[in-house]
Amino acid sequence: MNDWLVVILLAQALVAATPLVLAGLGELVAERSGVLNIGIEGLVLAGCLAGFATAAATGHPWLAFAAAIGTGSLLALAFGLMTVYARCDQIVSGLALNLVIIGGTGTAWSVMQTHGLTTMVPGSGFDRDWCGGWGVDLPLIGPLLFRQYGLTVVVAILALVTAWILARTRLGLIIRALGDEPDACAAAGVPVRRWRLLAVVGAGAAAGAAGAFLAIMRTNSFVPMMSGGLGFIVLALVMFGRWRVGWMISGCVLFGLADATQQHLQSQAGANRLPYQVWQVIPYATALIVLALMRRGRAGPRALGQPW
Amino acid sequence: MLDLRRLAAVWPAVVAAVGAAGLLLLGLSIAGVDPGEAALTAWRGAFGSWSRLAVTASEAVPLVLCGLGAALALRSGTWNIGLEGQCLLGMVAAIAVLVTMPPGAAACAVGLLAGALAGAAWCGIAVALERTRGVPLVLSTILLNTVAAMLLGALVQGPLQASGSAAPETAVVPEASRLAMLASPLHVGAVLAVILAVVSWLVQQRTVLGFELTVAGRNPEAARFAGIPVGLRTLQAALGSGALAGLAGAVQVAGVTWFVSDGARSWGYAGIAVALLARLHPLGVVLSALFFAGLAVGARALERRMEVPHDLGVIAQGLAVAAVLLAGALAARKRT
Repeated sequence: MNDWLVVILLAQALVAATPLVLAGLGELVAERSGVLNIGIEGLVLAGCLAGFATAAATGHPWLAFAAAIGTGSLLALAFGLMTVYARCDQIVSGLALNLVIIGGTGTAWSVMQTHGLTTMVPGSGFDRDWCGGWGVDLPLIGPLLFRQYGLTVVVAILALVTAWILARTRLGLIIRALGDEPDACAAAGVPVRRWRLLAVVGAGAAAGAAGAFLAIMRTNSFVPMMSGGLGFIVLALVMFGRWRVGWMISGCVLFGLADATQQHLQSQAGANRLPYQVWQVIPYATALIVLALMRRGRAGPRALGQPW
Repeated sequence: MLDLRRLAAVWPAVVAAVGAAGLLLLGLSIAGVDPGEAALTAWRGAFGSWSRLAVTASEAVPLVLCGLGAALALRSGTWNIGLEGQCLLGMVAAIAVLVTMPPGAAACAVGLLAGALAGAAWCGIAVALERTRGVPLVLSTILLNTVAAMLLGALVQGPLQASGSAAPETAVVPEASRLAMLASPLHVGAVLAVILAVVSWLVQQRTVLGFELTVAGRNPEAARFAGIPVGLRTLQAALGSGALAGLAGAVQVAGVTWFVSDGARSWGYAGIAVALLARLHPLGVVLSALFFAGLAVGARALERRMEVPHDLGVIAQGLAVAAVLLAGALAARKRT
């Protein structure tokens, strides 16, 4: 049962969806509070590099994970100060953030190569068995639940918590109100800028962690530009999900499934008769087509992208 | 014509450029590189002699064209951040024409035209998605950038691959179809870019069309009330910016690379930064593109002479954009 193609693809889809959901939760909260961060692509990439570099230099997986989260938060803090406090344009600031990070990671990677920091210390990554190998052979739930990274489980819990906070708590009400009626928030005594900055920094931490997932869990390696548009896909998925946690996650899993299928097709005999990009483009094309086919629904938060 | 108040509007850009450069040099000195020597090396590498200047100017040509495209779109309030993909499509269309048509000036002209049309068409997809299906342009153009990069990659190892070659590269453009050289590597495309900059400026400043575009971007409501066809004007601006980006790719193929290979480029993204640094002024775009090209060429000189990674140039570009924004925000705060 565990070698059925459906099971293999679904298990792989969960792996592919993990960084999307993680970064998506952060971006969703930030957008709900009124800040659009196109630089999320760069933040994920920065997380990849920070995680990998720390793992390669020190060999401590948890230190590497913390470094990725810290780097994502710090860079997001800079973005937040620019957009929330200095009221700079959010889209352009995001583009600038991407440029700085692409250049920065490229520079850091060249320096690391000259110092021989191109492979991780063995054992400094995370394994794909969060229960220490227990339950992996169980039918169906083994590959789907137990042969997964610990972060996948954490992200699932995080998603439930985020959905609950947004829908049911005072904090959630504040976040939603910040994105729709910042003036009303200010009148009610809510410090608009401080909350928005917090949301942005939290999103940065999530994006950094998503980068760590790519570098020190899924692949145990770093290549320049390895985020490969993941952040942009996240932006699309948040919109696809109409700024709701549940819908966004469905989108992430669907996308993960498309990605797993694409990789499976690519590994099939005879697939190399076509250039590999034909397979790689499938998830992106799917995202565009789904966005196009979607009925026009609720627009985003009313104050999204506007400085206050 | 040159009054002091308009000159004063330039200061944020200058402050931005100087601030970004200062930050970079500070970083270099922390890394143990003598910042004075580094600045001098980068300056000499980019602007030190006529031959270096030709290299920088040639590097600036696609940036001018993409910058003009970005300025046009942004002035009309259109968030076309898909210049990158449109530029790649321009390269694909141009190389397809240049290697199939009989060599000659006609092939070159048709190739450039095809590049511009392909860029406009790629942007047209995004505009159509926004107008008919409500997909935001910011999103669709970003996704289309990735699709374009993969399309290019697939084509150069598929239908467009040079026969008998194992590498993902197209055939080389025959000599007769290339853009003529002014002073190698500077080609006639540079003249074209400057002409287009002047034309953009004249259209913006002296024609009803340019005025309507600007108003539609500044305040669509008021524009509609005044009888300006806002939808049509923004469509024209979007397609025009796509065409300029496509032309940038085509000019690069016909004038500099003479073939297309798989791999990353970033003129489209840099073009947005160029336009912002120029504060969307078409003539300013030329200067700002030279500055950006100088950064890239200077960074490569640094890499050769002082073993500093050339990606530093990309950081500098990003910092320049951030600095422009911050300087602008500062100026706005002073005014109120």
